[in-house]
Amino acid sequence: MKRENGSHRLASILDSEKWSGVSIPILSIVLSLVTASVMLLILGKNPLVAFLSFLQGSGFVPKGSYGGGSGMLTDFFTFLNVLAPMLLASLGFIVAFRAGLFNIGISGQMMAAGFLATALIGYSGLDAWLAKPLVILIGMIAGGLLGAFVGFLKYRFNIHEVVSTIMLNYIISYLTGFFINTKFADSLTRSMKICSPASRLTWMNLQIGGVKCNVPLGIVLAIAAAFAVKFLFDKTVFGFELRAVGRNPVCAKYTGIKVGRRIVVSLMLSGMLAGLAGVTYYCGYYNTIVPKSLCSMGYDAIAVALLGNSSPIGCIFASILITIFQNGSNYMSSTLGVAKEIASLITGILLLFSACGGYFRYLAHRRLETALDREAAAQKAAQAPAAETSAAQPPEASDGRTSSEKEEQ
Amino acid sequence: MEDYIVEMRHITKRFPGIVANDDVSIQVKRGEVYALLGENGAGKSTLMSMLFGMYQPDMGEILIQGKPVRFRSSNDATAHSIGMVHQHFKLVDNYTVAENIVLGVEPMKKLLGFLPCVDLGKANREIAELSKTYGLEVNPTDKIEDIPVSVRQRVEILKMLYRKAEILIFDEPTAVLTPQEIEFLLKIIDGLRKSGKTIILITHKIEEIKKIADRCAILYRGRLVRVLDVKSTTAQEMANLMVGREVDFNPHKSPANYRDTVLEVEHLSIRNANKFEVVRDVSFRIRGGEIFAIAGVAGNGQVELADAVAGMVKTAGGTIRLCGQDITALPIRERTEAGISYIPEDRQGTGVFLDFNLGDNLALRKYYREPFAKKGILQFNQFETYANDLIARYDIRCGQGRKTSLRSMSGGNQQKAIIAREIEEHAKLVIFVQPTRGLDIGAIENIHRQILTERDQGTAILLVSLELDEIMELADTIGVIYNGQLLKIADASALTSHDVGKYMMGVKEA
Repeated sequence: MKRENGSHRLASILDSEKWSGVSIPILSIVLSLVTASVMLLILGKNPLVAFLSFLQGSGFVPKGSYGGGSGMLTDFFTFLNVLAPMLLASLGFIVAFRAGLFNIGISGQMMAAGFLATALIGYSGLDAWLAKPLVILIGMIAGGLLGAFVGFLKYRFNIHEVVSTIMLNYIISYLTGFFINTKFADSLTRSMKICSPASRLTWMNLQIGGVKCNVPLGIVLAIAAAFAVKFLFDKTVFGFELRAVGRNPVCAKYTGIKVGRRIVVSLMLSGMLAGLAGVTYYCGYYNTIVPKSLCSMGYDAIAVALLGNSSPIGCIFASILITIFQNGSNYMSSTLGVAKEIASLITGILLLFSACGGYFRYLAHRRLETALDREAAAQKAAQAPAAETSAAQPPEASDGRTSSEKEEQ
Repeated sequence: MEDYIVEMRHITKRFPGIVANDDVSIQVKRGEVYALLGENGAGKSTLMSMLFGMYQPDMGEILIQGKPVRFRSSNDATAHSIGMVHQHFKLVDNYTVAENIVLGVEPMKKLLGFLPCVDLGKANREIAELSKTYGLEVNPTDKIEDIPVSVRQRVEILKMLYRKAEILIFDEPTAVLTPQEIEFLLKIIDGLRKSGKTIILITHKIEEIKKIADRCAILYRGRLVRVLDVKSTTAQEMANLMVGREVDFNPHKSPANYRDTVLEVEHLSIRNANKFEVVRDVSFRIRGGEIFAIAGVAGNGQVELADAVAGMVKTAGGTIRLCGQDITALPIRERTEAGISYIPEDRQGTGVFLDFNLGDNLALRKYYREPFAKKGILQFNQFETYANDLIARYDIRCGQGRKTSLRSMSGGNQQKAIIAREIEEHAKLVIFVQPTRGLDIGAIENIHRQILTERDQGTAILLVSLELDEIMELADTIGVIYNGQLLKIADASALTSHDVGKYMMGVKEA
């Protein structure tokens, strides 16, 4: 009986209008952690130790020992360095996705932005107060132009954005690779020469609390961008039109929205955010570009966006979660001796479960409906003297239902 | 004891916010035509979807030939000799008739003695034979995309018969057909009954029930109102039960009071995507307070014509003027602002955002203007008061008020929302394309009254309809379109429906 009430309460939380946006992703996360634990157990490792080491690697929990000059804060700032581009890239994805467009070219847009910013500003010797804004500006312009170009191809020639962005990814990867190899290669590493500290978007080796930290400028931009995107979609006429185009282009046209222009602009915004992600990645966290290798972050960002239910604020949490796994995997691997690819595996499982979110909600809904029916049946039966158990059941059930109904209104 | 082939007992089915079926019990006799009558959203389709295994009832049981059954999918239902023709056909467009019919139960043969492949020759022969037996004329080798709607429907019927269905469910089968095709379909249904099949007919058209059905169950808002013997009941009685109140079949149309010319269309031509001229050199004008109705068989260019006036398609020649202003090249939004409202044919695909809530959909013509938006920021309190006002005044029924998702609303209420939104623009010209398609009497009556009210207030009305009755009832002036040309424009009083019917078939002189 107790179990029954518990599951009923769970169902009403999962199905309520107000909470399902949070409770469903949490359920997905819990389920993926359980699945990951089973896998770790099969490998003969303690999953709790593994999860703890992910957190330790990302600077949320202190490690056993630290090297000279570094500490928990060092790890945490490194984590923020990875988080910033991840969040920006996922925001870039949802800006297009909400308008019904699938920008799979984020990796390429990031690379182009990083390359141009490094090549134009990274070696220029400008002062920091000028160089950093210029790097950001060039990143956004480069990404934005690429995005707008994809939108134009779609609007003018009806070329599907998935096709054109994948093609552009290759073009950008090889084109930048060519220039890096012929002009900008570091003679030792064969990657692109690093950009000057003045233009780099991460302040290296700052002393904070007695330890050295690499402080990323990008994280401020990323959080600000998340709220800006939220505001854009929830409150503005422009965001309303983007959502309209995404949901039903025919009706959008009928409403008088200029569908083609909205497609171009949304891909441009998407590209701008990707470009911003690119400069925080290549001119901040990473500080070099390995020729002809697109970063996987552009694709991970899609997973983040889906896990975050295509909501900007959801993306903040989703990117934190995924970055913990990705960034903490090195430390986890060294302490546990499990291949660090397990992090990608967990990301994959997370994505799988978060894709089932709609189904979970449906199950919860069914659970509530059957409870309602049983209650109705119990009331009919109650006309005859009712058994104690069934009499105790209905008020509980109706309570749960009315509270969820209130939330719906 | 009577021989009931289908029994549904105490069926209850809920969807978010509504009870689609509330303790409904029906019993269908072997070999009868059993009609389910009710308004849109009364729960007819839901009930039959459960019989066909597409949903499971929340409560209650289903008995087939006296045995309780639980269908987990429509395959289970098919295994119990139940077949269903859906309102929207489920056919593969680029497959042939025969391929569609055998899909899933293909006759097989062995190529070269061992390679299994579909025996299309056998399928074609079997289907030709089947179509002869039941008088359902089809050519098994035609592709679906090349055949008209009425033939596609026959394919759907053959699909059921090929699977040896004994219980045939028809969901609004006449909604998409012309009067002659309806006649023919009713004959087919009668033939099926004579050959021993049991037929369940979902409809809201009472005349069809009078013509064909033996018994009729009336549903009203999810509950079973009554089961009637059709022969001993009048149409008026059925209508009243179905709508839940007295129905007035004759709207009171006051004499026309024409004002200045509002819309002037001159030498308008339109080409479709294949550069084919679908509208040729069409000229007409509509005055304020006039209902100009375009009659015609489907696909003769009437929808394109309406689209062109609203700005949804480009013109290939000619001019469109609204109150003297040339609007031929204006974008859609400017036309709306100049005074054109448009109720489109495809209400779900064009008229609304199914995924948006009712409040947002009601504000689609205003959201970007003051006071709905200030400096590009949406003012949601304005959305709310406006939506609540329209919901109350236009009696839009919705489970959760303005937050109701359009998808969960019935077709009739979706249309109410569209009409409310468009009429509230107080435009100079309102275009109605098939405003009552697929709606029930109550809703039709309501919409006709709204159209007439608009006209009496001096609005110019362009009405495109495939229902001749509707045109004869509402129009002040009738234009008959055939093959993209307006063959005849005349005062409605000067034409009988017989005349209009002739022009519709392309006969020049009546």
